[in-house]
Amino acid sequence: MSPPQVPRSSPYGPYAAPSPRRGHRSRPLLSRRSALKSAALTVGLPSALTGCGSARAGSAPMSFWNPWGPAKGSDMAPQSDWFTSLARAWNARTGKDVALTYIAGETYTNGSKLQTAFLADSGPDLFVLSPGDFLRYANGGVLEDLTPYLSDEARRDFVDGALDTRTVNGRVYGLPMSLQPHAFYYSKRAWERAGLAEGDVPRTWDQFLSVAEKLTTRRRSGLLLETTPGYLQNFCWYPFMWAAGADAVDRTGRHSGFDADGVVNALRFWQETVRRGVAPRRALGSGSTDIVANLLAGYCAIQHCGPYGVGQLRKAAPHFDFGVFRQPVPHGGRYTTVVGGWAFVVNRHGRDPEAAARFAVWALGSMEEECVRRVARWCAEASTDLPPRKSVQQHVAAQGYFDDEAMRYFQREVLPGGRGEPRYPPNVYQPVSDAIQACQLSGADPAERARRASGLIEDALATYRGARIF
Amino acid sequence: MATVHTSHRTSPGTGADPGTGTGTGTANGPAARGSRRPLTRSAREAVAGWLFVAPSTLGMLVFLVVPMAASVVVSFFRVSGFGDQRFVGLENYRRLLHDPVFGSSLATTGLFTVLFVPLLFTASLGLALLLQKRRPLIGLWRSLVFAPHVVSLVVVGLVWQFLLTDHVGVVNRVLDGLGLPAPSWLGNPAFALPAVVLISVWFFMGYYMVIFLNGLNDIPASYYEAARIDGAGRWRSFRHVTWPLLRPTSLFVLVMTTLTAIGAAGVFDLIYVMTKGGPDYGTQVVMFYIYQRAFQLNDFGYSSAMAAVVSALLLLVMFVMLRLTRGGKVDA
Repeated sequence: MSPPQVPRSSPYGPYAAPSPRRGHRSRPLLSRRSALKSAALTVGLPSALTGCGSARAGSAPMSFWNPWGPAKGSDMAPQSDWFTSLARAWNARTGKDVALTYIAGETYTNGSKLQTAFLADSGPDLFVLSPGDFLRYANGGVLEDLTPYLSDEARRDFVDGALDTRTVNGRVYGLPMSLQPHAFYYSKRAWERAGLAEGDVPRTWDQFLSVAEKLTTRRRSGLLLETTPGYLQNFCWYPFMWAAGADAVDRTGRHSGFDADGVVNALRFWQETVRRGVAPRRALGSGSTDIVANLLAGYCAIQHCGPYGVGQLRKAAPHFDFGVFRQPVPHGGRYTTVVGGWAFVVNRHGRDPEAAARFAVWALGSMEEECVRRVARWCAEASTDLPPRKSVQQHVAAQGYFDDEAMRYFQREVLPGGRGEPRYPPNVYQPVSDAIQACQLSGADPAERARRASGLIEDALATYRGARIF
Repeated sequence: MATVHTSHRTSPGTGADPGTGTGTGTANGPAARGSRRPLTRSAREAVAGWLFVAPSTLGMLVFLVVPMAASVVVSFFRVSGFGDQRFVGLENYRRLLHDPVFGSSLATTGLFTVLFVPLLFTASLGLALLLQKRRPLIGLWRSLVFAPHVVSLVVVGLVWQFLLTDHVGVVNRVLDGLGLPAPSWLGNPAFALPAVVLISVWFFMGYYMVIFLNGLNDIPASYYEAARIDGAGRWRSFRHVTWPLLRPTSLFVLVMTTLTAIGAAGVFDLIYVMTKGGPDYGTQVVMFYIYQRAFQLNDFGYSSAMAAVVSALLLLVMFVMLRLTRGGKVDA
């Protein structure tokens, strides 16, 4: 807000400047020449200050926007270092340089920078996308097909399902950096203090609520679920819906599946956690997957997070004792979880989409030994994620990565049965988000909200044109 | 006039005296004099005036008028954000009529305005009256009240988010200690909007206090003295001297705070940082909804239609306010 002009409130009436003495001649205020110079400067200055100009200079390096690096000195130093060494290695071997642009996580996922850049036809040459956002860009026709640059051997090397959410009509448009299946972390200290044993790890929703109640104290919630509206909240809620046998969109991808008992039950379960006071209405830090700000800080005793939480906890508090259990299911339900993960994608309207595609495949999708080691470094050193490729899995396994109990649990127990984060268009995502918010935080009737959302999803799908939804 | 012309052609560095016509320029022969007629004093002042306002005018044109006009044009198109536009006529405006979230966002904006404007007005005026008189450490007190306004709203949002945390936040710990209920300020739809209103008032009250102080200082002390001699107490002095003479300032504050509330200037940052429009649309003011539709759902045409309607509403509000105050001439 620009500071407004302060009015004068003199009771003597409006302020009047003293009039010049008649006949007094002063020097001209401005010569015409200086007036013209001033005008030219006035017009030119904004352009000069904002650096307006073509973003498509031929010799400029390819821009790579990402939320990790370069960001020296931050908590993300390992990730940042991985990105900078990636760019350095590529730049050393080719004449098509890549320049990294760091965009803070919150700005990247919830901000307007990326969208505005594409709107102005000046999107980055390379960027990273989550499956939740994939359709928007795929249907916008801005993603470069990476299939021609990807060998069959390399494509087969990706873990089953890892490429699915980045594929349209059999063509691959994004290469995943890692797999992030979600599970629940718990504080063993809080567990023991509540008189719970290892055998009390919940397997059903009823047990889950019961355990959360026992873990709840005046200052600590038993369980933390996401409460802020957005893609993350939907992401965290989907496995509850799937475990209850329902889906937002049916198998054809053309009709809503939201008006189902499973949806109502999942909405009701989340509502119950708040109504019974075992889950808070707010998460700390950057949200319910911020494991340091919540579980480690003692704000909750159980919270969901991907395998990256293992590394974050160990880095922040090496002696913090935690356990992991997989997603509980309702009676008669089948285990599943949501598998997230970012992927490299290429702007097909960028400076040199071919070079950018070659870079993306060289970085994450080549069978070269160095590529395998590089992806392994990302999954096992820069972060603690699960590898998206079989060769990388073997590589990290040989290095003892799965000797770690938590990582082994994620690989053997959590990942199997997992499902990639769904790619829903915005008009499907929004009604789901509204239903979750209304039921969880306003105590709305889950059945009524599921019906209402289902109608909106049906309307959205009736006019939807684009890649298959699943 | 020729004298003025001579000095006009002279470099300012020569120090020619415009009153004597002793300029040292060499191009001031008869031909030059005849070809260029000098500007009159009023014309020169007019040119200077235009040049002074030119930067602001250009800024307004480039960053306000042109984008607003472009936004209205975009509102007649379906724009995905990836280079494809399709003319859809009034379809975006028709969608507005059936969008419950737009309606609820307008209602939330209205509620926010109704709570925010009177509270901010009262708090600012009250603080100005309290901190008007020169007392020891008055500068410190004024600075403390003004201090929040110099901090980024993002920082303000983060700090208050921390203070209002469920269970463990300072505010709830204090309430808990006093045996009072400690609600989820930002997680309960019933409390989230009032919490955002209070934080906004806290942020803006120092700034408007300074404006009220300026208005109060312009009221001559002799008026109060006369009122005191006539037997007026504090309340009657305020009622019959301060209040009427403060009306221009009050009107200004009223207009600016109303625009701040409806236009979400400043409030947007708080909502973005603290609640993202939640819980369950509890703090979803219309500007935040426009932002979401545009940048999170890539619905730029529809967002532009919403922006056009909100701009029209703002104009209407301004028109009504100016009519009620007879064009702002409150002293007339």
